[in-house]
Amino acid sequence: MTTPNLKSNRSQVLPWIDRNRIFLLFFVILAFMTAFAPRFFNPFNLTTIMSTTAMNACVAIGFSIVMISGQLDLSIGTVITLAGIIGLGLQPRFGYAVSVPVAIVAGCLVGLVNGLLVTKAKINSFIVTLGTMTILQGVVYQSTGGNSIALSTPVAFSTADFLGKKLMPLVTPRILVTLALVAVFELVMRKTRFGRNFYMVGGNRNTAWLAGIGSDAYIIGAFMLSGLTAAVGGVFFAMESAAATQNLGTNSLMYVMSATIIGGTAMSGGKGGVFRSFVAILTLEILYDGVILFGLGNEVKIFLAGLILALVVLYEAYAVYKHDKVVGQRPYLLKELAEAGVKKG
Amino acid sequence: MEDKLKTTDGRSLRSGSFMRFMIVVGIYFAAALFILLGAVLQATGVIRGFLSVQNFINIIDTVSMLGIVAVGMAFVTYSGNMADMSVPTTMALTGIVAVQMLQYGFWPAIGIAIVTGLIIGMINAIVIGRFRANPIIWTLAVNYVTMGVIRLVWVNKQIYPDTVASTAGVSQSFDSIYRLNVVQHIGGNDLLNIRLPMLMMLILVVIGQFVLSRTSFGGQLKMTGASFRAAKFTGVHVESVIGLAFVVCAFTATLGGLAVTSLSRVGAWYNGAGYDFRAVTAVVIGGMTLAGGRGSIVGVLGGVLIIGLINNIMTLLGIPTLSQDIIRGAIFIIVVGINAKSLRSLGRDDT
Repeated sequence: MTTPNLKSNRSQVLPWIDRNRIFLLFFVILAFMTAFAPRFFNPFNLTTIMSTTAMNACVAIGFSIVMISGQLDLSIGTVITLAGIIGLGLQPRFGYAVSVPVAIVAGCLVGLVNGLLVTKAKINSFIVTLGTMTILQGVVYQSTGGNSIALSTPVAFSTADFLGKKLMPLVTPRILVTLALVAVFELVMRKTRFGRNFYMVGGNRNTAWLAGIGSDAYIIGAFMLSGLTAAVGGVFFAMESAAATQNLGTNSLMYVMSATIIGGTAMSGGKGGVFRSFVAILTLEILYDGVILFGLGNEVKIFLAGLILALVVLYEAYAVYKHDKVVGQRPYLLKELAEAGVKKG
Repeated sequence: MEDKLKTTDGRSLRSGSFMRFMIVVGIYFAAALFILLGAVLQATGVIRGFLSVQNFINIIDTVSMLGIVAVGMAFVTYSGNMADMSVPTTMALTGIVAVQMLQYGFWPAIGIAIVTGLIIGMINAIVIGRFRANPIIWTLAVNYVTMGVIRLVWVNKQIYPDTVASTAGVSQSFDSIYRLNVVQHIGGNDLLNIRLPMLMMLILVVIGQFVLSRTSFGGQLKMTGASFRAAKFTGVHVESVIGLAFVVCAFTATLGGLAVTSLSRVGAWYNGAGYDFRAVTAVVIGGMTLAGGRGSIVGVLGGVLIIGLINNIMTLLGIPTLSQDIIRGAIFIIVVGINAKSLRSLGRDDT
């Protein structure tokens, strides 16, 4: 049986725009900044944008996967800080060959704890990650005494130079790591069964259960990936910049969450993608970069970041609200009645 | 009448008043255990100065602002919307607005601050009550926007009551929001240092408890929190009930913000930082479930006192404030875990 095709052109264009809004937004903002922002479109500034996004883009990979699985991870900010501090703090004694894997494993462990508490102890993910966030804040403070950890050895300085060196236009090794991770996870999430199952678990847990997917394993996996990417982002950022500070990842939660939601990853799970979040991070960074280039201060950037997040959340909620109002209505029946000459009411 | 409300297997739909009473007793019993722990630590000579009237008054004094905020947060949790994450910057914004408006006198400043707080509450009420936005993500977004507003308007600056206020008297009145000794004020001696926030906390707890357990709004809030759909189909105007909970939360956050700003004598964007997590912790330790519709304000007061005792004992043990977060976070997760587990074993888990 075929359903009556009564969709007008308008109703096909709008959803298309909505689906691809992040790409349209990216080009609009890029074009605007290229046209109007002073000193925007030059290799130096574009490389700056890319390397500023490198950390948050990396963190957004895991955050998106957690959101796709229908959960929320508030602990990413402190995982970034923790990873940076472990990565730099252990380096003088053991070298990067040990400290970087340890930092990444620590991120994974935080994710594992989050995942176990969410699935096995059945605590809401918001609460669990709020708790682990607080605990990690304490751990970071306890381990550093409130100080930041600076680069100290020649190896560390040469590594920092290497990570910031331009291999080709726009690409430094650290950006390359992020791009590679985005590419790998985008492919995994789109093309493999393992990746698609995250969407299933987030979209409808009962369906996933009926399809024989162990939801718990996937949710634990999502949190571990989130911890992993946050740790990778944090540790590489700390390695390239001069020091790992107490508030390395403080603002990341806001930026990453805004970007993920703007990118079209649904708050309720089951929708979205890694590449979309990456484009959204890039779009936001171009916008913030432009704000600074226009000569406006950091406070404008913070205000704008919050405002954009609020507007997108409001738009999404309003769209669902409107959809819920007409759900169950069958427009083609109304149209049939209208054609048959029956007046409404 | 109400006792006839039973499920098919005979369980009462009302968690009986005895049961509720026992939960509250349990919370205060836990508080008593912490006092006992402190007493044992003092008796063995590990800590000093725990068992004294002055110390207990200090404990209540330190958590009084948390208590004020937690009462409002409890309304949001009770309504099934988990938490209002916009509390920290609501406190900061209302505080800094009040300080800025001191140039027009004391009462206008308080009035404008309260209106500011209520506006934030109304915005949350409309978006979450009517459009059903995800409460956590929306209030986080509001938190960031409010932070941006403060940063933008005051350009990263802090402002001080004594430099802004029109007269020294106005600045002094603002300082006394936190410092006013109530006992002394009404003519008693100044030995007992009961400050205004403590009194505000107690009054809010009494009002909050009355509203939740004795008014129709409280009943509707309970029903909305326990089951949104059931409440909606019963004819409860869920939009305004949830909205009102957020307005109440913003109002108490405003009072808390005024007290915190008065305490620190500075209006700044970081006032109130951390109050979101601490208030949720107090609410959860106080026996309110995050699923909504269960718990009491008296219990939340118990939760606030337990937090105060834990902080006090940790400080007396010499643990740095920021490192205390490790223990606070762990207690938070453990309490929620036990709560969720016990509810599940009772068959009352509806998350």
